[in-house]
Amino acid sequence: MIRLTNVSWRRERKASTPVLSNLSFEVPQGGFRWLLGPSGAGKTSLLSLLHVESLPSDGTLCLLDKDVTAHTHRSVLVRLRQRIGMVHQDFRLMPDLSVADNVALPMRLQHRPEDEITDEVQSILKWVGLGDRLGVRASRLSGGEQQRTAIARAIVHRPGLILADEPTNALEEPQAHKLLDMFSELSSMGTTVIVATHNEALVRRLSRPALVLERGRLVQDGA
Amino acid sequence: MALPFSGRKDGLSLSEALPDRSLFILVAMMSFLAALTLTGATGARTLSTRWAGGAAQLLTIQVSEPDQPLAATSKADKTAQPTRADAVLADLATLPTGTQVHRLTQEELARLLTPWLGDAGKTALPLPAVIEVRLAEGQEAPANLEQTLDAHVPGTVVEHNAEWSTRLRALAQSLLACAALALATVGGIATMITALATKAGLSTRRDIIEILHGLGATDSYIAGRFAWRTGGLALGGGLLGTLLAMAPLLLLFRMAAPFAASTLQAASTTMPDWRTLPDLLPGDMLVGLAALPFVAAFIGWVTTQFMVRVWLRRLP
Ligand SMILES: Nc1ncnc2c1ncn2[C@@H]1O[C@H](COP(=O)(O)OP(=O)(O)O)[C@@H](O)[C@H]1O
Ligand SMILES: [Mg+2]
Repeated sequence: MIRLTNVSWRRERKASTPVLSNLSFEVPQGGFRWLLGPSGAGKTSLLSLLHVESLPSDGTLCLLDKDVTAHTHRSVLVRLRQRIGMVHQDFRLMPDLSVADNVALPMRLQHRPEDEITDEVQSILKWVGLGDRLGVRASRLSGGEQQRTAIARAIVHRPGLILADEPTNALEEPQAHKLLDMFSELSSMGTTVIVATHNEALVRRLSRPALVLERGRLVQDGA
Repeated sequence: MALPFSGRKDGLSLSEALPDRSLFILVAMMSFLAALTLTGATGARTLSTRWAGGAAQLLTIQVSEPDQPLAATSKADKTAQPTRADAVLADLATLPTGTQVHRLTQEELARLLTPWLGDAGKTALPLPAVIEVRLAEGQEAPANLEQTLDAHVPGTVVEHNAEWSTRLRALAQSLLACAALALATVGGIATMITALATKAGLSTRRDIIEILHGLGATDSYIAGRFAWRTGGLALGGGLLGTLLAMAPLLLLFRMAAPFAASTLQAASTTMPDWRTLPDLLPGDMLVGLAALPFVAAFIGWVTTQFMVRVWLRRLP
């Protein structure tokens, strides 16, 4: 479950205009939300707050039953991040690592047994259609392959919250639909999912509540 | 089916991120310096304890014309009188118990003088009697010993070595202080170099670290990855530097060996054999040298841990 109360965020402490101002909304555990709005509205910024890459400048933010704004200890934030899967707009893969090693990272950082990692990584990569690309270095992948690797890395460790920033940008339509079906299935199984996108056709395909941002403000909460 | 995993890799690729070679070489050079400093300090301490410590308890008494009767006033008394040397020995017998009094034999005297006079047995010089008095630990010679002896046996000279030993000890102590200062400086430089290398590594791996952090890597994981790398490099550099220092060090101790010898007998003019050298190096110095690479590794490890953890504070 996610709860924001009057959350504002400035990129710099002294910056005059906040990137996000006065956001308040709630998403229950297992909820699915579209995150919409024009380019520059603050979608990526909001997702990075939800991924605890930065902390709100004002307001309170609760994620998976933890208040991250209450001077929470670093180790708590680390464990929180381990329970979140994030697909970045720019993928953020390790260029020197193979596809399999990239996808294995979240599980390795949680010290899961290596044979379990092998099984999970193999099946998830087969599912995203990269079953024959396991040993390829991430820096040699096409845009679509990178995006699919990033998606696999975000879900391989079964996180409680999935954040996806324009996850279908580099995908063909059938792949995009397949991904959407999976997100919807994960959410019905109890995973909270937030997907930022521009793709209106996609939004029409899966009718779910939308959070709409405009210049850092929440103009619509479809819940 | 085995996955094409590249092992336990996390993408940090620290062997490419850290300025390895320069860190390794710099640590090796500093360990070399530290090993030499350590040797100098140990040498100074050894010499000072052997000379100064021994000398403080040692009196040397010279009696000129030792075989003349004590007071040759009348020719008739000549045989009844003890010799001057015997008279002094008798006086010394009144010193506190535990005192060792030894008059050097002709052979000992000759051996002592050989380096200076050649075959002393054949010299025409009238040799004095030399009496070594070794006081028990903590004992002091009576302050008026020289006056007493000189009054009784005129021309007796007492050489008290305590002043000598105080000066030697002061010298040794300032040498030790210099050595400690030098070691602290070397340690400080090592810390700074490690810090700079870590900073360089952090800035080239900034993006990767942020990704790892986002995937849920703990501070101790990231700091540990950097710290084991620099610690390992410092250990290797420290080993190389210490080993390289062994050559000049052995040479130094080979030259110092005759002076460090504690007994008159061992102070031969010929140098000892190379094979006896391990016996000549003091045990605590060997321990210090063996510890050097580990101290270097520890400095590298701690500095890197600190640097990386401070750096990571910029991320929530
Ligand atoms: N790295 C950056 N440095 C400074 N300003 C940025 C940076 N990235 C984005 N911005 C600004 O922050 C605001 C929000 O951007 P962003 O969250 O990326 O929006 P969106 O994802 O909806 O396109 C925009 O005004 C954008 O210009
Ligand atoms: Mg964006």
